[in-house]
Amino acid sequence: MTTSVMGASFRPGELEVRSDGTGNLMGSRCRACGASFFPVREACAGCLSQDLETIPFSTEGVLYTYSIVRQSTPAFEVPYALGYVDFPEGVRIMGQISGIDFEDIRIGMPMELSLEPFGEDDEGHPLTGYRFRPSEVTK
Amino acid sequence: MTQVHITGVGMTRFGKHPDSDATDLGAAALLEAIADAGIDARLIESAYVGHVFQGMVMGQRILAQVGLAGLPLVNVENACSSGATAIREASLAIRAGENDVVVAVGTEHLTSQFAGALTPDPSDPEAAIGATMPGIYAMRATRYMADHGMTREQLALIPVKNKANAAQNPLAHFRKAITVEDVLESRAVADPLRLHDCSPVTDGAAAVIMMSDRAAAKYANGRGVKLAASSLRSGSVDVEPTSMTYEPLTWATALDAYEKAGIGPEDVDFAEVHDCFSIAEVLRVEGLGLFEQGSYPRAVERGEANIDGRLPVNPSGGLIGKGHPLGGTGVAQVVELVRQLRGEAGDRQIEGANIGLAHCRGGKAVGIEGAACTVQIVTR
Repeated sequence: MTTSVMGASFRPGELEVRSDGTGNLMGSRCRACGASFFPVREACAGCLSQDLETIPFSTEGVLYTYSIVRQSTPAFEVPYALGYVDFPEGVRIMGQISGIDFEDIRIGMPMELSLEPFGEDDEGHPLTGYRFRPSEVTK
Repeated sequence: MTQVHITGVGMTRFGKHPDSDATDLGAAALLEAIADAGIDARLIESAYVGHVFQGMVMGQRILAQVGLAGLPLVNVENACSSGATAIREASLAIRAGENDVVVAVGTEHLTSQFAGALTPDPSDPEAAIGATMPGIYAMRATRYMADHGMTREQLALIPVKNKANAAQNPLAHFRKAITVEDVLESRAVADPLRLHDCSPVTDGAAAVIMMSDRAAAKYANGRGVKLAASSLRSGSVDVEPTSMTYEPLTWATALDAYEKAGIGPEDVDFAEVHDCFSIAEVLRVEGLGLFEQGSYPRAVERGEANIDGRLPVNPSGGLIGKGHPLGGTGVAQVVELVRQLRGEAGDRQIEGANIGLAHCRGGKAVGIEGAACTVQIVTR
């Protein structure tokens, strides 16, 4: 079972992780003007309405840009790929990229959300985070 | 409303200062500015002190060091725009008629705070997944290269230019000119950026003394230059994804400054811009309207941004060459504008300049284009 290796979300409220091993990045959608935001906001930056709903974002998007990070803080093992993915709800979200050789990453690639182990909490329990990987459909 | 006159400037050497701290550096810069203005320190009515990582009441420690404790004092944190924001707040105290003589100081002892890559605040969702400042700018460089056909070699010409300028600046962190090959062979930090594309971890401080018309008439001895505009904006939340190769925040800040100074980008003779990374200089000057979008890398190739070029950019060496002590940076940029306009810039002097512009932009939080942006315009 996938669930046996999944831990709690590394950032509850930003990443929802369900017991069946699926999950979504979460944000706000303005009921007044339709604009979407990541992460959850209290008011809409477009029209200032406070009538926002919390929504799960699509798990498929397009890679806007990327970099291979070769120097980071001690919390992260280098090198790793970092990218911005544009989602159909109109949000751009940053994440690490997995499941592809660095030299094969391209702007414009279809990407999908991938739930993956992402460190541990203060008591040593495994946490689930997210990365982006090339969409299955394009492989 | 009174104009704001800059009548005294001071700046420490930028670099590594293992034997002093942010208080020592700030005090040294402040004392130099007071001496440069040629005034009795007791004329100073209020102080604004910018820093990022130096802890509580940084400014009070500096003023206590130089005998000025007791003044109204505001400590300012606005990421890499902290020092520039201190100047802006100080200038507002004059424009409001509250004070006639004020000082802005920016200081940072960064080598004692950390080494390596700067990141957004650890609580930020993007920091939590591994965002670093070099990584964010590297991603913008990747996209700029794809959108505008900039080559890696063209990008390398920016650190080459800025370190050549720094070699002429006795207060710069780096005093050695480099080649394109040096840039391309330096250690990879975040592709496509390499070590020479990045501003260093630097200690340093700078200070400026500003006066109202009334005080300048009495004390400036004709040496003052005018702070024609000092504008500040914070980054807005994106309602939809926008191009990361253009800077609406920089343009909005610049537009406010151009309007206040009564000039346009075509009137600017030279600029000190926030080149925390090589690609950042490209994004800044295009965002400021000084060069057309997508045109700057080729303009640098033609020498247009050199000290003897059409529009010199970062004659001091910029953040890449002169160094980047976060809180000190924005104040040091204005010190450079003043010294250039006074004709005191030595081997890096720009001939015949009348209008200088300084731009700072710092910080990052999830969902916003940039955190804090300032544009200062200084005129003869």
